[in-house]
Parts: sequence; C-alpha cells; structure tokens
Amino acid sequence: MEAKVLKMLIPMALDGLKATIGVFALTLIVSIPLSIAVAKLRISKNKIISNIIGMYIYVMRGTPLLLQLMFIFFGYYRVPVIGYAFSREQAIFIAFILNYTAYFAEIFRGGINSVDVGQYEASQVLELGKSHTFMRIILPQVIKNVMPSIGNEVITLIKDTSLIYILGAGDILKAAKSVSNAYAAFSPYIYIGFVYLVITAVLTKILGKIENKYNYYR
Amino acid sequence: MVLSVENLSKSFGKNKVFSDISFSVNRGEIVCIRGKSGEGKTTLLRCLTGLEDADKGSIIINDMFLCKEENSHIKYAQKAELVAIRQEIGLVFQSFNLFPHMNVMENLLEAPTFLKKEAAETIRKRAEVLLKRLELEGKEDSYPFQLSGGQKQRVAIARACMLNPSVLCFDEPTSALDEQTRAQISKIIRDLASQGIAIIIVTHDNAFVDEIAQRIITMKDGFITVD
Repeated sequence: MEAKVLKMLIPMALDGLKATIGVFALTLIVSIPLSIAVAKLRISKNKIISNIIGMYIYVMRGTPLLLQLMFIFFGYYRVPVIGYAFSREQAIFIAFILNYTAYFAEIFRGGINSVDVGQYEASQVLELGKSHTFMRIILPQVIKNVMPSIGNEVITLIKDTSLIYILGAGDILKAAKSVSNAYAAFSPYIYIGFVYLVITAVLTKILGKIENKYNYYR
Repeated sequence: MVLSVENLSKSFGKNKVFSDISFSVNRGEIVCIRGKSGEGKTTLLRCLTGLEDADKGSIIINDMFLCKEENSHIKYAQKAELVAIRQEIGLVFQSFNLFPHMNVMENLLEAPTFLKKEAAETIRKRAEVLLKRLELEGKEDSYPFQLSGGQKQRVAIARACMLNPSVLCFDEPTSALDEQTRAQISKIIRDLASQGIAIIIVTHDNAFVDEIAQRIITMKDGFITVD
C-alpha cells in the first residue's frame, strides 16, 4: 500500500514542487527590491505618497493572503471599469508579490529608520549624493539589520505557497491531498510535511550564511 | 581670510539658537568656539558645514558664497556650486560617524572616488600618505569597531582631509579621549593648521582651548560675547 502511495505521490509531488519553488522564487526576486522602493516611499516626506503606501500596506497586512488570491482571480474583473480577468498564474504571482512586498516593506522601513542619523550626516558632509548614500552607505547597514526578520518571512513564504490550491493550482500539498483521496491514506501528508521541513532546513542554512556574511562588522 | 561669517542667525521655530553671529577665520588659524551646552555652538558648526540652513546672514568660504542675504531673504548657492563650496569645509563629528561596514581605507576612498576628483591611484596614494601621517599605518583593513576612540577620530580626520578642505571643523574633539590621545589629537590639529588648513573647534573643554587655541570665540545666549 505504502509503495503504491509513494509511486503515485513522487511524480505528482515533483510537479507540485516546481509550482511551490516557482511561486517562492519569483515572489522573493520581485518583492525584495520592490519592497525597498516601497519602504522609501512609505517614509517619504510627501504625506500623500506616504499615506497611499500606508493604506496599501494596511490592506495587504490586514486581510488574509487567501482572500487576496481569491479577489485577484475571481473578483478583480468584476470591479467596474476594469473588466479584465487575470489568468491563474498571473493572479497567484500578483497576489503573492503584492502581499509579500507589503510585509518586506515594513521590515525595510524599520531597518532604514534604525540606521543612525549620523551616517546620513557624514555622507552629506562628504558630498556623497542622496542615491549613492542610500545604495552604498545606508542599504548595506539596513540589510544587516533586517536579515533575521526577512529570514522569518522567507520561511513563512515557502509555507504560504500552499495557499495556491484555492485557485486550483497544483503545489506539493495538493499532490498530497490528491494521493490521500485516492488511497484514503494520511501518510502522503506526512511525507509532504517532511519535504517542507527539508526545504525549510535548506533555507535556514542559506539565510544563516547570508547573516554570517554581514557579521564581519558591528 | 578663508571663512567669513556675517550676521548669521538661526532659530528652530520660536527658539532662537543664535543671532547676528559674525567672525572670520584666516588660513592656518586655530579658532576655538566655546560656551556652555545649549549655547548654539554645534548648530553654528552645522550651519557652516551645510547640515542646517541658517535663517539670516551670509557664509563665505574661499570667496564663494555658501549663502547670502538678498532682499532680506537668505539665498543658498545653486546645487553644483554648493557641492564645490561644501567640499572646502570638512567636519569631524563628535561621534566620528565612520561607515561601520567599510574598513579604514574604504572610509577614506569613498568620497573622493565618488566625486571623481582625481585618478583612483592618486586618491589611494594620498590616503596612504594621510594614514601614515596620522599614525594609522597597518590599520587600512581594520573596521571601525576594531579601533580605539583615538584611532577612530584620526580616521575621521583623515576621511575629512581626503577632500582637501580649506577649513576643518571639529565638534567636541576631546569629549571621549584620554589624556594621551588628547595630546596626540592636539598635535595633529596643529600639524594640519601648519599646512594652511583653518581649524574651527567647538568645545566646552576649557583646558583644551587654553592648550590649542590661537583665537577664542565665546558664545553665550546665542551671541558672541568675546572674540
């Protein structure tokens, strides 16, 4: 019985893994740089921009990701004037990127605010220019400060990818569900649980290495 | 005369920090500005170095206007001009404000490399000479957290000197130093002055003022009381 379960589960899980890793990687690649820009806009002196970004972050953090996925796929085209429906993949990526950008942006905002004002002043006196100051002086210090919090979100993200099942997309958890239904067995969920643990272990290792990379200074 | 300040005033809201401050500094002169805490000394230094905008008056550095009064409004130099003028005046912060993620050499090279004032090789050679002169040889690869207070201050001085300023300002340079390091810093300051750099030191350390000052400006209640 268990052999049959595994025989059915492995190919489906590998397919599902592609979706899981795909959503995870694309969300990270787009969200992290985008969230730095959003964080800068959030702390902008322009109150209108800052408030609009604040509202976006409030909505993204104040509603479940599951609801956001459903809204973007099922509800968005019903909004008058828009009348455009996203494909399943588009809806998944848009929802994940919008949601995680909001969380990452709040982390980066905290990181930017934690850099001593003296760093900005020293850069100003040395005439380093605003964008050079941010990229070369502030951002490296921000990254060091925010790495532990970013790490937490990255691990949450890998688990959140299982939410794509709501739009009918197949990830590793959906593979477990299908096999479980076919054989009336619970074991597929346990196997997939181990897969999540392995992915988390790999991510923890990578995140630890990145954190260590910034430990060369205090 | 390398720096001239005329009728400079600054307020934060209704709180007047200083009013109608006027003084000038010559090349190679060591001027100490002293006064109790809260008398506006540091704010004056911040106005001179462009970290704060003054409300009234003018600041002239090397015959270039950083700001001047026009029709009873203060007018600052245009951006391109401002960058050139502000390079003429350096500041060594009380807490040094070194870039913690960069080693000593990187701290020194960052600004001149960004401003592309000279070829990279020339900049590096100048940094090496400065480090040697400030007795920081062998510390090129050290990070600020690996340095003592006195060493950090010397790196901050070297970093400011990399832009070849005509005026170098010090904010409370002796506040965190022991006797020996203090003597070392005062020697370095004299050395810089002997090369023609005008030095402005803001401090409430009277012993240090007596030791190093060629001229003393005393601030009280936002005014210069003695010059």
